Amino acid sequence: MSPTPYLVLSVILFTIGGAGVLLRRNALVAFMSVELMLNAANLAFVAFARMHGNLDGQIVAFFVMVVAAAEVVVGLAIIVTIFRTRRSASVDDASLLKL
Amino acid sequence: MSLYAPVIGLIIIAALFAVGSVVVSTVVGPKRYNRARLDSYECGVEPTPQPVGGGRFPIKYYLTAMTFIIFDIEIIFLYPWAVRFDQLGVFGFLAMVTFIVLISVPFVYEWRRGGLDWD
Amino acid sequence: MTAPTLEYAELAPLITVFGAAVIGVLIEAFVPRRARHTVQVVLALLALVASLVQVIALAGTEVVAAVGAVVIDGPALFLQGTILVLSIISIAFFAERKLEAGGDAFAPAASSLPGSDEERVLVRERRLQTEIYPLMLFAVAGMMLFPAANDLLIMFIALEVLSLPLYLMCGMARRRRLLSHEAALKYFLLGAFSSAVFLFGSAFVYGFAGSLRFSEISTALTTEIGKEGLLLSGVGLMAVGLLFKVGAVPFHAWTPDVYQGAPTPVTAFMAACTKLAAFGAMVRLFYVAFGGVRSDWQPMLWAVAIATMVVGAVVALTQTDIKRMLAYSSIAHAGFVLTALVAADQTATAAILFYLATYGIATLGAFAVVTLVRDSGGEATHLSKWAGLGKRSPIVAGTFALFLLAFAGIPMTSGFVGKLSVFAAAIDGGATPLVIVGVLASAVAAFFYVRVIVLMFFSAPAEEGPTVAVPSVWTTVGISLGAAATLLLGLVPGPLLDLAQQAAVFVR
Repeated sequence: MSPTPYLVLSVILFTIGGAGVLLRRNALVAFMSVELMLNAANLAFVAFARMHGNLDGQIVAFFVMVVAAAEVVVGLAIIVTIFRTRRSASVDDASLLKL
Repeated sequence: MSLYAPVIGLIIIAALFAVGSVVVSTVVGPKRYNRARLDSYECGVEPTPQPVGGGRFPIKYYLTAMTFIIFDIEIIFLYPWAVRFDQLGVFGFLAMVTFIVLISVPFVYEWRRGGLDWD
Repeated sequence: MTAPTLEYAELAPLITVFGAAVIGVLIEAFVPRRARHTVQVVLALLALVASLVQVIALAGTEVVAAVGAVVIDGPALFLQGTILVLSIISIAFFAERKLEAGGDAFAPAASSLPGSDEERVLVRERRLQTEIYPLMLFAVAGMMLFPAANDLLIMFIALEVLSLPLYLMCGMARRRRLLSHEAALKYFLLGAFSSAVFLFGSAFVYGFAGSLRFSEISTALTTEIGKEGLLLSGVGLMAVGLLFKVGAVPFHAWTPDVYQGAPTPVTAFMAACTKLAAFGAMVRLFYVAFGGVRSDWQPMLWAVAIATMVVGAVVALTQTDIKRMLAYSSIAHAGFVLTALVAADQTATAAILFYLATYGIATLGAFAVVTLVRDSGGEATHLSKWAGLGKRSPIVAGTFALFLLAFAGIPMTSGFVGKLSVFAAAIDGGATPLVIVGVLASAVAAFFYVRVIVLMFFSAPAEEGPTVAVPSVWTTVGISLGAAATLLLGLVPGPLLDLAQQAAVFVR
């Protein structure tokens, strides 16, 4: 099996995610983009695991899912707190800390 | 045919358990009918004709999502363990027990701090 | 299939802290509210001290534990011990209750809206934030695991375990809560972004080597031919993730905002301990796993080190807020550590270990002094308010000056010995141009440290200036320990240098 198509897909997903974090103004959307990046890494791990014929990559994918879930909890808590105070989830509105 | 007997047995037990739980909860549980109970969705999303100014999600919606995640994580690790449970032996079993105990700690925390009370 | 074994004796320091953190969560659930604060502080202190004792008892151990996933060796134990000492001092600053009228430095409940009735009620009831202690223990456990990780997966998990609690802790300040929330959001978004980049890089390295273990990656460097593209992109992406955590330029943008917005005790804790853990992990990754391709990653770190030293020192000059200034100073210090990292040998490892220990202690002390200088709005962090502080409170200003001199690397302080050893290691490793940039950057940095000292001692006190609050015994002891260590390690650096030298051997 050639892992190349999967890797290309994974790099595309990672790039979309990275662009999303850097370009989108809504904290929730930026955060979803981070999750997309994690899943892109998962795809790469699983493809490489198949290529090498060992299971290490698949195990990593499990752990990454758990980390992603934990990150969702922490992230939602922070974003919801900000949203409740400011009634907005735009990253640009959170700008008291500029130089 | 005897090969399928355990499967059929399991299906019957599962069906009995499911029906039993529903029946028992209607018989034993308190009966309250209010607007929230009669809504189409219980998880906080208002049905489409939304109030002026956009519908708001109650904070509880996120709390429920976070509770879901505890069990979501648990299943991720239980499933592979269940597939090879006989070969993983005592070490695997003890590791899983430790894991489930640890996973239940945040759940206990949430329950004690009122995260499971809807109002 | 045989069951794997775990080396419980060697992993005991980690298990102690993790276990205490879990017990801390249960305390939140079951212990009555009035007793919670005391119980949490005592538990955290006991766990950290017990773990430190276990680390000391393990000194000299060299074991590959947990089926190769964790290594307990010199650098790991040295850093774990240092992180524990710094965390114990941090607990003293966390538990300080004499500075704020209503309690400690944290919001009574992180979920209450700023300015709401709920918040006012909680403040009136003198409710104390107790969840911060289990969070801190989780972060400490992650920090201890990070430099001991011998496997890409464990490294990623440790990175997340140390980061996630820190994101939350940043958002818990009692005063200026909007700033604090904003710091938490920024730290979280950028931190999650950088860990995703780190993870993608480790996927590539795994694709190259077919294994997650550092030792096997190191072997694969010589056996796998024709896949260098995968390896190099993997190394680059992983470096981005780690450089973000240490706050190196160009991945430093979060540092000043987060350091300023977070509650000052948390800033002190994370500025000192995160940097230690992240540099420890970075040194192990680059020396043990990627040591065979050092000629490929050295140029990248050269560039990053130069940029970090220059930007850190120059931008610090323009700062008017004391916490932001210390943040930029910590960026410059990351650059100094990077100069030694480039050299990649045992002397360099020893120099880095020593530097991190001295930097951590001085940073902790400096931020703790910031919590003492207060006016009606809480901490007075604007630089102009510090004018003439030396006349009002010579002891506090003198202690702060000592920490600043250590940062500047003036002889007779620990910072001087630290800087000398990293620069010597860099010259040995053939990075003389880096050292020249480093010395110039130190000179620029020394200028702004001295400027603050001059401001404190030789300018007229501001009208309505801040007062220096009298802290409880806890903070006094913490700051005194920091000051004593800074002075002592400057005068008698021999023992710690020897220890770092002995500890600087990685087990593969």
